[in-house]
Amino acid sequence: MNVLLVMIPLSIVLLAGAAIAFFWAVDHDQFEDMDTPGLLPLDDNPPDSDHAVRPR
Amino acid sequence: MAAAEWITQLGLADYYRLRTEPAQKPTDPTVGIDNRAAWQRPEISRHVVRELDDGRSEMMLLIEGVRCSACVWLIERSLNSLTGVIDVQVNAASRRARIAWHRSQVTLPQILDALARTGYRASPLDAQALDDARRRESRDALKRLLVAGFGAMQAMMFAAVLYLGALDSNDASTTELFRWLGFLAATPVVLYSARPFFVGAMRMLRARRLGMDVPVSIAIALIYAASLIEAVRGGGDVYFESVSMFVFFLLAGRYLEMRARHRAGDLTDALARLAPTFADRRREDGTLERIGTHELRIGNLVQVKEGGIVPGDGVLIGTHCRVDEALLTGESAPIAKHRGDSLIAGSVLIDGPAEIRIERVGADTALAAIAMLVARAQAERPRLAQLGERAAARFVARVLLLTLLTVVCWSIVDPSRAFTAALAVLVVSCPCAFALAVPAAITRALAVLADRGVLVVKPDAIQSLADATHVVFDKTGTLTDPELAVVEVSPGNGWSRERALQLASSIARESRHPVARAISASASRDDANAAVAMAHDVNSHGGLGLSATIDGREVRLGRADFALGRSGNADASDAVVLADDAGIVATFRLSERLRPDARMTIDALKAQGLTIAIASGDAPAKVADVATRLGVATWRARQLPADKLAWLNELRASGARVIVVGDGVNDAPVLAGADVAVALMSGAELAQTSSDIVLSGERLQSLASARDVARQTLSILQQNQRWTMFYNFAAVPLAALGFVPPWLAALGMSASSLCVILNALRIGKRASRTRRTASTKAVRLVRDTGIA
Repeated sequence: MNVLLVMIPLSIVLLAGAAIAFFWAVDHDQFEDMDTPGLLPLDDNPPDSDHAVRPR
Repeated sequence: MAAAEWITQLGLADYYRLRTEPAQKPTDPTVGIDNRAAWQRPEISRHVVRELDDGRSEMMLLIEGVRCSACVWLIERSLNSLTGVIDVQVNAASRRARIAWHRSQVTLPQILDALARTGYRASPLDAQALDDARRRESRDALKRLLVAGFGAMQAMMFAAVLYLGALDSNDASTTELFRWLGFLAATPVVLYSARPFFVGAMRMLRARRLGMDVPVSIAIALIYAASLIEAVRGGGDVYFESVSMFVFFLLAGRYLEMRARHRAGDLTDALARLAPTFADRRREDGTLERIGTHELRIGNLVQVKEGGIVPGDGVLIGTHCRVDEALLTGESAPIAKHRGDSLIAGSVLIDGPAEIRIERVGADTALAAIAMLVARAQAERPRLAQLGERAAARFVARVLLLTLLTVVCWSIVDPSRAFTAALAVLVVSCPCAFALAVPAAITRALAVLADRGVLVVKPDAIQSLADATHVVFDKTGTLTDPELAVVEVSPGNGWSRERALQLASSIARESRHPVARAISASASRDDANAAVAMAHDVNSHGGLGLSATIDGREVRLGRADFALGRSGNADASDAVVLADDAGIVATFRLSERLRPDARMTIDALKAQGLTIAIASGDAPAKVADVATRLGVATWRARQLPADKLAWLNELRASGARVIVVGDGVNDAPVLAGADVAVALMSGAELAQTSSDIVLSGERLQSLASARDVARQTLSILQQNQRWTMFYNFAAVPLAALGFVPPWLAALGMSASSLCVILNALRIGKRASRTRRTASTKAVRLVRDTGIA
């Protein structure tokens, strides 16, 4: 059972790591626009600089 | 299925979200919401305020932090206490407030100040501000949801160890360790993820109201505190996993509801953001200067480049261009415009450049009118929703009472079980599902309908639309095109039909008379290269016709006596004659044309079991003709508005519920007499509508699908209400009797709210055929426009 003393803290550290990574992703616009990136490859004409379309 | 899903969602809203990239908006002074001075400047406030004629102003505010009917009540009360404020309507679901006030008595900054004092942050509905608020809300919700999810998983794992007896039961210190691990996992869930519930409950209690946040907060706080005490004392059961799970499922429900709400707001926002930020104004000396769109004045000349967006409503000065008016029709198709035609703000120029004289700017444009209309519908709380809110408040009061009763009873019978039973009652009863049942369905229905080009002005109309038994159509302008069409061409001796039509159209092109337009339109429909002959010296003879020189010959088009130089016969008076010096070239007969989708619509409505009738002010022969062509048995001709109204009252007295479809402006009194008034209109007239529902872009066929959606909405609404009733009646007594452990209660109540929300999201998904056409439209849109 002593292995628990390693595994539990490890799982908590991993969890904290995952939470931090997710917070970073949310704050860096990764979840802002779920539609556009999937559409961009379908776009034949690269957008010109005046009316550029880029995922936010 | 997933592909079809995203394409459906790629409606108008997404299309324009892609087009107007917010990052490109300049940092103009409108962004500084808190800047009092800025709002006092008329050129800034004109961005958001619409001035009504009798000294009143109107605007739409976005209010952050509104989550219940109590907040709505608080805001309405505080604003109504300001002198000069006439009307305040707040919608909790879309967090918008529509405020009307007297310009002379109160100013915009004062209103914003009053709101700030109540503790709500309000921003006039400016696209940039809205985007930030929504972004902050969705990021916040995502983070809280994730923390709750991770916390709940961990807490359940640790709890499973305790429950399943994996540990040696004699090992008290390990049991202790797992309890504290559970506490560690649940703490961020309660203190961080559940914060919105506590904040909401506090706000409601301060307003002396009861809402669904109150029992939820009490339950969370009680379970957490009791478990902590048990953990410290080292005895009894701990429920850290139950409280985490409870919070997680509640947040999941809230998150889904938020997504639906944001979708519903998409259309309005897309519309509001359609107008470009800059315009190229032509100076006196002919050079162009780039100015902010809000600096445009009536009468300015602007140039719009190919692919550019028209900045204000105006008139085309250049010869011709093609535009995409998808904002009106919901369908992306190039529309040809000629000199003198009006262009609306927000439409996209496909061929350019075009020179435009601005006639309406800012909040007066058709675009602003549409956005206002959609927003007004969303800000109005339908009867159904009001009933639902009141029921939910009563329900919460009863649950709290029942909890108290449970505690008292169990304290007498078996004090050790009093706490768990009371918790179970609090947790298992689901005021959330109760409160969500109606708004979730209505919000979703409004969004689905708006996506299909049906603007619901009064949300109550959804119910009446579903209940209707009769449809009465106006004829002219509703079943028929407002414009004339050539129905018959009889060429004279030696002329072919095509050549005659070509010749006529080369003259008619130069005129804007309805008859001339009909002739040139039918020629260009027959043959794309119609214009071979060149007409010179085209002269218009008022009321008579046109004359021109073609290939050296003088040709006349018009009334028979004019075209034939007064030598013709007078009996062909309603025909248009094309003649040269040698005699008649051709005779054209014109008539109004059925809308291409009229037959389809009427068949679809009949298939839904509705009785169709036509009421028209036109002559009996013409009405009869249209009625037979459409297969309508009941019709009345030569009806004055008063006659139509009398007929409607007669129908309604006999128990019928009537949908009246008209063109919206001329038959306003008749529309007012209907159960549901539906108007077909486009552009600037939208603002003056007296109807309940507007079919924008004048597409009649959306009426049938709108009724489908309305009926589906009502049935889903009833399902939701029945489900919450059933669930609560079944679950609450069991909990009060102590049969429901806290974890099961948490699961049950969360599942119940999730059911309601997921059920509401089904609205608009049944018509698979409609969806397929929507998908092909979206694909075409992507291909044709390259998204940009």
